[in-house]
This record gives sequence, C-alpha cells and structure tokens, in this order.
Amino acid sequence: MMREDVNVGRQFNNARREAMQFHPPFSAIVIGAGIVGASTAYFLAKRGVAVQLIDASAPASEATGAADGAVSVASKRPGPMMAAALSGVRLYATLAKEGVFAGAFKHRSTFIVAASDEECAVLEAHSAALATVGVRVDTLSAANLHQRFPVLSLKARLGVEVHDDGHAIGYQIVHRLLTAAQITVDRNTKVDGLAIAKGGRSVTGVSTRRGTIEADAVVIAAGTGSAEFLNAAGVLTPRKGQLLVTERAPRLNAAMPGAIMSGRYLLSKGTQKMANSTPARGLGLVIDPLVTGQFLIGGTREEFGDRQSNDIDAVSRILAEAVALVPGLASLRLLRSFSGLRTAVVDGLPLVGRMPGFDNAYIATGFEGDGICLGPVTGKSIVQLICGEAPEVDLTPFDPSRFERSGEKL
Amino acid sequence: MIDPEVIVIGGGPAGIAAAIEVAGCGYAVEVVEQRDSLGGAIHRQPIKGVAPISQASGPKARWRALSDDFASARIPVRYRSIFLGVDADGLVLFENRLACSVERLQAKAVIVATGAVEKVLPRPGWHMAKVSTAGGLQVMMKETGRAPKGRVLLAGNGPLLIAVTAQMARLGNPPVAIVEAGDPLGRTGAGFSMLGHMSLVREAFGYLRTIYLRGIPWMRASQLTAIERDDTSLIAVVRRANGREQRIPVDRIGLHDGIRPNDFALPNEKATSVAGPVILRAGDCRESLGAFAAEADGRRAGRAVAEILSGGHERADLGCVKIERARRAQEVLSTLFAPVGGACPISSLPADTILCRCEGKTVGDLRSLCERADRLTGREIKHNGRFAMGLCQGRFCAANTAALMAEIWPQAPAPVAEDLTGRRWPIRPVSIAALTGARATSTEHE
Repeated sequence: MMREDVNVGRQFNNARREAMQFHPPFSAIVIGAGIVGASTAYFLAKRGVAVQLIDASAPASEATGAADGAVSVASKRPGPMMAAALSGVRLYATLAKEGVFAGAFKHRSTFIVAASDEECAVLEAHSAALATVGVRVDTLSAANLHQRFPVLSLKARLGVEVHDDGHAIGYQIVHRLLTAAQITVDRNTKVDGLAIAKGGRSVTGVSTRRGTIEADAVVIAAGTGSAEFLNAAGVLTPRKGQLLVTERAPRLNAAMPGAIMSGRYLLSKGTQKMANSTPARGLGLVIDPLVTGQFLIGGTREEFGDRQSNDIDAVSRILAEAVALVPGLASLRLLRSFSGLRTAVVDGLPLVGRMPGFDNAYIATGFEGDGICLGPVTGKSIVQLICGEAPEVDLTPFDPSRFERSGEKL
Repeated sequence: MIDPEVIVIGGGPAGIAAAIEVAGCGYAVEVVEQRDSLGGAIHRQPIKGVAPISQASGPKARWRALSDDFASARIPVRYRSIFLGVDADGLVLFENRLACSVERLQAKAVIVATGAVEKVLPRPGWHMAKVSTAGGLQVMMKETGRAPKGRVLLAGNGPLLIAVTAQMARLGNPPVAIVEAGDPLGRTGAGFSMLGHMSLVREAFGYLRTIYLRGIPWMRASQLTAIERDDTSLIAVVRRANGREQRIPVDRIGLHDGIRPNDFALPNEKATSVAGPVILRAGDCRESLGAFAAEADGRRAGRAVAEILSGGHERADLGCVKIERARRAQEVLSTLFAPVGGACPISSLPADTILCRCEGKTVGDLRSLCERADRLTGREIKHNGRFAMGLCQGRFCAANTAALMAEIWPQAPAPVAEDLTGRRWPIRPVSIAALTGARATSTEHE
C-alpha cells in the first residue's frame, strides 16, 4: 500500500516536471538555519548551487537546538509520516556511513514499554501496525524484557523492541552539515519579505534590512517565523517542549541497550488525526542514553503560553515518571533543563513543497517533534523537487496548497 | 509555613544587610544559605569544635555588628539550601540538602546575593590533583583552623595571594613562595593613590610585614607558566621577572587570578512583581568590590525591594557613596597589581592545555572548532565543542573560553561567559531524588 502511494507521488511529480521544464538553479537562498534549512543548503551545495543560508539569529537556535533527537519510527503509525520517517532513518545511516554524520548518529533500538492493561493493549496493536510496514519489531514478555533491559523497573510488563532506530543531536547535525558543505551562515539577518518578479509568478530573492539578496530560488525553512511569508494565520502554531539532561552515569548508561519510551507516549503524541485535540500539556516519557554517558529525558508537548522556560511542575513530573521506569536514575543529578518551541501545522502534517502561486519559492517547515528525524531527508527531497527530480519522500501529502483547497488562505 | 514575601539568597554581608533592611521596612523575609552558617566566604565560620582563626579587627567588628543586627531582627534562615533559580511560573526553587527535597516558594521579591568566585586562568597542568584555588585554601583554613599541609606554592595575580600567605604563616605553614604576575612595589603612582584608602593600606601592610619577617619569597612580575609532576611532587615552572626559568618542587598549588561576580546562570534582574517576583542582585554577584561595599549594596537592594513592593520606584542613589569609594579602591588595586607585560593571552598556551576541566576540552580543541570562515556564537561553541557543558556548568571555563574566542576573532563583538552558560535553572546540578520527592501533584497522565 505504501509502495503504491510512493509510485503515485512519483508519477505526479514526473508529470509536473515535464510540464514545467525544470533545470537546477544557479543560486538559491535558504531562510532558516535549523536542521531543515541546513540540510537543504547542504544538498544544494553538493549539487554546485551557490547557496546563501540566512538566519534571524544563529544556526540551530530554535527548535533544532532544543530537540529530543529521536531518529525514530517507533511512535509512528502507518501513513505518510511513517513513510517519510523510514526514509529519514535510512538517510541518517547513509550519511553516517559516508562520514558527514559519522559519530553523530547513534544507532540504537527504541523499547516501548507498557505498565498497565490499557498500555499493553495499545502497544500490541501498535507493534502489529509497525510490522505491517516492514519495521523490524520484537515483542518481549516481562521476563525477556527484564533480561534484555535489567535496569528497567519490574512495573514494565510488556516491551516492544523497535530495531533500526537511532538518535542524533540536532545542533550537532546542523554543525556537521554546515562544516561539510563549508557554508557560512548569514547570521542575525531578518528576512523582511520575498522579492517578487513582475507578473507575480516567481521570486527574484529576498529583502532584508541590508537590501535585496537575489537568487534563482528561495526555500523558506524558518519554523514559526515562516508564517509571515505565508499569509496563513492559524496554519502554523508554536508548541512548546521541555527536556532534561542528567549528569554522566556510564554504568547505568551502558546497561541500557536502547531508548525507553513509555507506552503512554503513544497516547501523548497522538495520531495525525488527533493533532487538533492536543491537550494543554501532554507528557510523554522517553529516556535516551547518550554517547556521553548522560541521559536525555523528555518531555512535554504543550500549548505555548507566556512561559518561556522550564517549570518545576513539568520537570518533576517527567523525572518522577523516568524514575518509575528506571529507578537507578534517582541517584543521579539533573544537569540541565531546556525548552524549545516547535512549529506545528494544524492538520498534524508538515508543509513541504512549492509555495502556492510561485514557480521558484518553496517551503519546508512544521515538523513539530519530527524535525531531527525528517530534517535531512526533507532537505534532500526539496532539493530534488527544485531540480525537477522525483523527491525521495513522497511530498504530495505535505503539499502546502492543501490549505488553499480547504479554504484557508496560504 | 507561610511563604515569605521576600527571599534573600546568600547569607554573606550583602544578603544579611539586605534582609535586615527588608525586615525593617515591615516585610516578611527569609534567608536561604547553602552552608550551615552565615558569613559568606569572607566571614566563613569554623566547623563545629574549631576555634575561629584571627581576622583583621575592622572586618571582624563589622561582621559582629551586622550579625547582631540580624539576630535581633529574628529573620528565619534556611541552611544547607542551594538556590536553583526561578522557574517559568516565577517559583523560587532551592534544594534543601538536609531534607533531600526541592522546595518551591512563591515570593514577591528575590534578592540574589551569591557573592564572588575566583578567576583562574588556564595553564598547562592546572587540572592536576593537588592544584586548587588560593581562595579555596583560605576557606579551608577558616573552617578547619589549620593551614594546608606540605610545601604550598601560591600563584597568579592580586592581593588575595598575600592575604592567604599571611594566614598560612600565622597557622604555622607559610607557602614556599608567592608567584605574582604584577609588581605592586614597582608602581609608585598607584602606590600613592593607595593612601586615599587607609584601611586597605593598613591591611596590606599587615600582610607584607608577615611576608617580610618570615622571609617568604614574593616573586613579582613572575608567571607560573606550567605545572608538571614527577614521582613525588608537583613541579611549578616559574618564569621570573628577568626571564629566567625556575622549577620549584611542591606538594600543593593554590591558583588565583582575581575575582568576578558569581552570576553564572542567575536569573536576570527584574524590577516588577508582575509575572514572577522582583529580582535584584546585591553585593559581589552584582559587582565584585569586597565585603565593605557588599554590605552597603545589600542595604541598597533591600531598600529598593521595599520601595518597589510599596508601589514606589527604585532609588538608584542609595548607598552609592560607599560603593563608589570601594569601586575606586578596587581600581587602584587593579592598577597596582596589573600583570607586568599585560595578561598572558590564552591563545599563546600549548594546544593541549585543558580549558574545560569537566569535559577535558583543550585550547587546541577550541582553536580547531574556530578554524572556519563562519564566526560561531558562544552557544554554538558550547554545543559543538562541549565547553561549559560539564558539571561545573561553566564556572571554570566559560569566561576563559569566551576570552579565547575573542582572541581568535578580534574583530567580532567579544563574547562573554553568559553566551555559553545561558540563564537556565537548575543553576547547580540537583539531585533527581530530591526533585521527584518535591512533586506536589499527581503524576497520572492527563
């Protein structure tokens, strides 16, 4: 079924390519140096396109710099996001092998664990769903789970090991991409708007306080800041997430063969269908053993109010749940807490594709909590789209024009 | 227990003076102190059963008067409580190490008086065992009443080195030498300016007399260029004023290159109680001018908070005369002790010199990270080089890392320690057991 979807998308894109006479641009501007923008700039530079990467502050300064780093399909349900995530994980493995991400992508399993009857039921159904799209999963009974994962609390009654997942730290990936492509970021540069050619069908560049910067193509990957280019009030919403990092604990770390995800995470994260009914604050527990010997523990998913930073209520709840699953964490110290704003799209799917009304302006944003997993593959796909090739990921479900169709102005 | 209206963080001269002032204006105030006793670093009290070591009569009398005032104001103190910061909801957080819990208080105002920390410049070998700060040795003497054992060398820059020397001498184990980058005796102009600050002159004269009488070598215009070790000793490699290198075997080294505000990750000042408490800083964590100014600045901050809470405006001029006088005295001292030939640039150190002691990151690591056309921000340096990311959360390395970045990219706006450390809580690593015990609400999923 997924295979068919991809083929339909390819055919569609091939048709478009023939109709529109593509050629790779000589120059391009990418707005936003988060993981999506940096990946786009990297793949453009690799094709010899003169790329200018512009950021309102600095690389990885927003959502990418405050992400949980999951390069994972474990929590996904079959559908376009799952298809994209599978490609995303594969691309990480490839780039790690090629050297760009070597040492920055940790290959590891995700263990989803259930502690109640309700969670066990949801987890079994989820595991079966993962298997249908070819994800390698193992269901572990309580005894097997505790043998494989001895530091886990006995409260965990059922586990599903999702193989072939991984972890990467967003700001490190951005740094790797920019270093490899030798890109100098135009920092602290706010883009005021797109420069539009006569006729209004194409852009000639972007306007900044330092004047107009010209290019043959423009990609907007500016997270929540993308909204001002779109005239699309209400399509993008910022969503806050809080995360924690502990001190180093090499022994406990080594005793964890992968990340732990609470079965509740499946409920907290929601399906694409549930995205509209996000509670004011959801809590989904993931404990990721980092290569440094530290643990990254997250996190919340909440409406962005006026609270910029972390609050003790969320921090102590996250930790209490973490300690309930891995009691050994109680003997460690919390080193850092941080929070970030992720850009969500009202229908739960990102915006990736050509900007409605323009031939050479593109948008890639709205990944909420999936930006680290999907950033590189999105960059690669949008560059393929720009160059008139079939994108690696079928972008049709993410086409920004879907909001035009449903009546919302974009 | 009812939450206090005002919380003072730190029981040194600034915090105590601020609390007295706030209480005098009729507000309920509490002091949060990380140790078992008040006094701060300057008036550090001895541990149980140890007689206090002798202290200069002026500071001693000032502290006695201040602590008497504090006692009669009957202000509650929470001991062994580490300030963690102010959270997104405006709650003041601290870790109570006695109860092993994290406590949260809802206050109208917070006065942060966390004092100063020592600056220590990186040198080859400075991360080795038995190398500490000179101020750390001083605090140990105040607490235990004993001098550090063995052959001790003090090195760096500034008047604290001679103060520690005099205290060690009085406790029976003077240092084998003091290595001082400045040459205060060679700067007659600044020496004359000292006469405007007679209490400093008296204090300094007392120390110098001890040093002279004991014949302790005070190596001025000299640098401790490296610390090495052999089978039995540390070897202090000293470059003397005449350029000659001297190797001194010792058991312990105390480093000190001045002091700076202990403002790492502190919340920013905030002059309104809308959306979270008023936050003001007082004393050395605002500007490191010493105990005398800290007390005056504490009173200023205490009155300012009372003014703001009563609906008035902060009056900036309060206590200004004393603080200004202390500022001038510090300027004189820093001219007097200015390193001969200027400060040694960090970029001149060997590439394998440790910059970040927690994560073992070196001068060379930072240099290679900066070898690119793009000028990275402090945050990027932190993220990608792991500087200021360890357990000390940048207390040891953030300022030195920022200084080296400024040397590498002289044209760019000079980065500061805060660019690396940020301003997030927890300000100090905090026990997860304590944090989870602090949970006041149910953990059931919403």
